[in-house]
Amino acid sequence: MLAFLGRRILIAIPTVFLISVFVFTLQHLLPGDPILVMAGEERDPEIIAALREKYRMNDPITVQYLAWAGNALQGDLGISLRTQQPVLELIAEKLPVTIQLAVMALIIAILIGIPAGVLSAYKKGTWIDWLANIIALSGLSVPNFWLGIMLILLVSVRLGWLPASGYLPLSEDPLQSIRVMVMPAFVLGTALAATLMRHTRSAMLSVLKSDYVRTARAKGLREGVVLVKHALRNALVPVVTVITLLFGELLAGAVLTEQIFTIPGFGKLVVDAVFNRDYAVVQGIVLCTGIAFIAMNILADAAYRVLNPRMSDQ
Amino acid sequence: MTDPSPLLDVRGLSIRVAGTAEPLVDNVSFTLNAGETLCIVGESGCGKSLTALALMGLLEGTPLRVERGSAMFQGIDLLSAAPDVLRGLRGDRAAMIFQEPMTSLNPALRIGEQIAEAVRAHRDIPRDAARARAAEMLQRVRIPAAGKRLDEYPHQLSGGMRQRVMIAMALANDPALLIADEPTTALDVTIQAQILDLMRNLGAETGTAQIMITHDLGVVAEMADKVAVMYAGRIVEAGTTAQVFDDPQHPYTLGLMSSMPSLAGDQGRLVTIPGSVPSPDDMPRGCRFAARCPFATAQCEAPPPLAPRGTGHAVACWHAPLEDFAVGQRREVPA
Ligand SMILES: Nc1ncnc2c1ncn2[C@@H]1O[C@H](COP(=O)(O)OP(=O)(O)OP(=O)(O)O)[C@@H](O)[C@H]1O
Ligand code: SF4
Ligand SMILES: [Mg+2]
Repeated sequence: MLAFLGRRILIAIPTVFLISVFVFTLQHLLPGDPILVMAGEERDPEIIAALREKYRMNDPITVQYLAWAGNALQGDLGISLRTQQPVLELIAEKLPVTIQLAVMALIIAILIGIPAGVLSAYKKGTWIDWLANIIALSGLSVPNFWLGIMLILLVSVRLGWLPASGYLPLSEDPLQSIRVMVMPAFVLGTALAATLMRHTRSAMLSVLKSDYVRTARAKGLREGVVLVKHALRNALVPVVTVITLLFGELLAGAVLTEQIFTIPGFGKLVVDAVFNRDYAVVQGIVLCTGIAFIAMNILADAAYRVLNPRMSDQ
Repeated sequence: MTDPSPLLDVRGLSIRVAGTAEPLVDNVSFTLNAGETLCIVGESGCGKSLTALALMGLLEGTPLRVERGSAMFQGIDLLSAAPDVLRGLRGDRAAMIFQEPMTSLNPALRIGEQIAEAVRAHRDIPRDAARARAAEMLQRVRIPAAGKRLDEYPHQLSGGMRQRVMIAMALANDPALLIADEPTTALDVTIQAQILDLMRNLGAETGTAQIMITHDLGVVAEMADKVAVMYAGRIVEAGTTAQVFDDPQHPYTLGLMSSMPSLAGDQGRLVTIPGSVPSPDDMPRGCRFAARCPFATAQCEAPPPLAPRGTGHAVACWHAPLEDFAVGQRREVPA
């Protein structure tokens, strides 16, 4: 397993390089000049010239890239044009918020989606299956923002059970932090739960027809053991792949959800940076997201190998 | 005469897909005594597997239903017992192995665990005792280096080895009855012989009665004390192996005999019975073999009963034992 991880990380290096080049180039091809934004209303030519010098905007783009990449390797992703904070610091501050949201949403999605998928496959064609499918379909078709607003109105405004917005770091008060995040995580998790449910259902349906499930029954195992130990364990192999593919959806959804619940996370950082043409921050964010994607894929492959022993000795 | 009640007494078993006209398995009866081996033989699709699955209570989740019949096994009717009672029996007093060793083991679990869980499903024993039992069983099915194999996954074993694992699993609780559904069909010829050898020896060692399903008369000759020949869902001839081989009385049995590969070493079937099995939606009301039968007459439009022809021998044919037919009287069967 360690050798496998090492190999995967080595292979990832060129990918990270390509991402960085892509990010850097694209950024500079986009219209709009951040220096003009920074210089303010007056657009004093002297200030503009000084700013250009300061941010090395006059150097050739390759020199700019090398300087940027060299610094990035040392953990220096530059300074935000707007807040003057180091980009890495900004990201390190906001990322845990979004990770907490995404992880909680994923847990909720897994806790709802996988059991629902197992049950509806097992009870295929009964009212339980129908109900699960109808709920899943609604979960997919209800837009996040609408569900979010409705939940805020009901749970926060009417019932006063949970706060409507805000954030509390996990390190300060774990329980309270989770409590504050539950509603946004639920909103973000439901659509994923629906997708997971449908994939789990179809994977379970094919696994339940397999010979080894019949063998498990022929041994006289209890239905619960047959379902979980024999069927679900094998059905999870494709489902894990789906979870990886959902990661992008999860991040995009997190950005939107943070806006609805005014959570000061990565999403807000992204939106602010893009609107202000804060090059350094956008570059840092995309780079970090790209690396996170690669890391997720490696993790998923590792999980895939654990679930699927046939892969292990290849 | 001291005839203790048989280990398994199947009477009038009929299986049908709900809403279809003719049952897929029709009025099947046979008995099996302790320690005996019965072979059920017949062409593909004649209902051998359905019969076996029905006895094990494994038809659930399919559109197939047991319509009639009883199957008394150690005081329990396998066809009407509650699911929990059947689950308690399965893998314990009655076990089954399947045709496809490649897909019948769970690819995600170590084989030691797959055997041990069969033991623990029926015995309240600690994990390491179950594991020890698994190792012992692997040894008994003659798997080399059994102790080391416990932690291997099915994909690390050949087809023959996997079928040995299936046998080990099935016999782990010393069942009184083992149903083997074409256990060697998917294997190479040399491996087939080894597995059959193993099953015969283990059967003799443990006294486990076996129902061996096959479409290969060679297997029957090697394994069986008794034979039931099935055609299109019905038993057409039953008897001891000697009776059926030396004195076949049903035209279908005769056809099977002549389609057996000769001992001269030719591979495959030399003579096949012309025509094909009637499809389930198009079952004749009378004798189901009539369309392929060289002896068919108008009488055969009524279904022939499985009638006794001497002790233990029974044949379902109006014209058995066919002695009245001179060769010239046989009709031509359209191919
Ligand atoms: N789940 C099912 N639904 C409907 N029909 C079925 C089902 N399973 C089997 N059958 C039908 O029942 C008949 C008997 O099938 P069965 O599997 O018992 O045959 P078999 O004698 O075991 O044949 P083989 O030698 O190919 O294993 C076949 O015509 C088959 O098409
Ligand atoms: S009953 Fe008639 S059709 Fe059927 S096997 Fe006998 S002779 Fe042939
Ligand atoms: Mg079969």
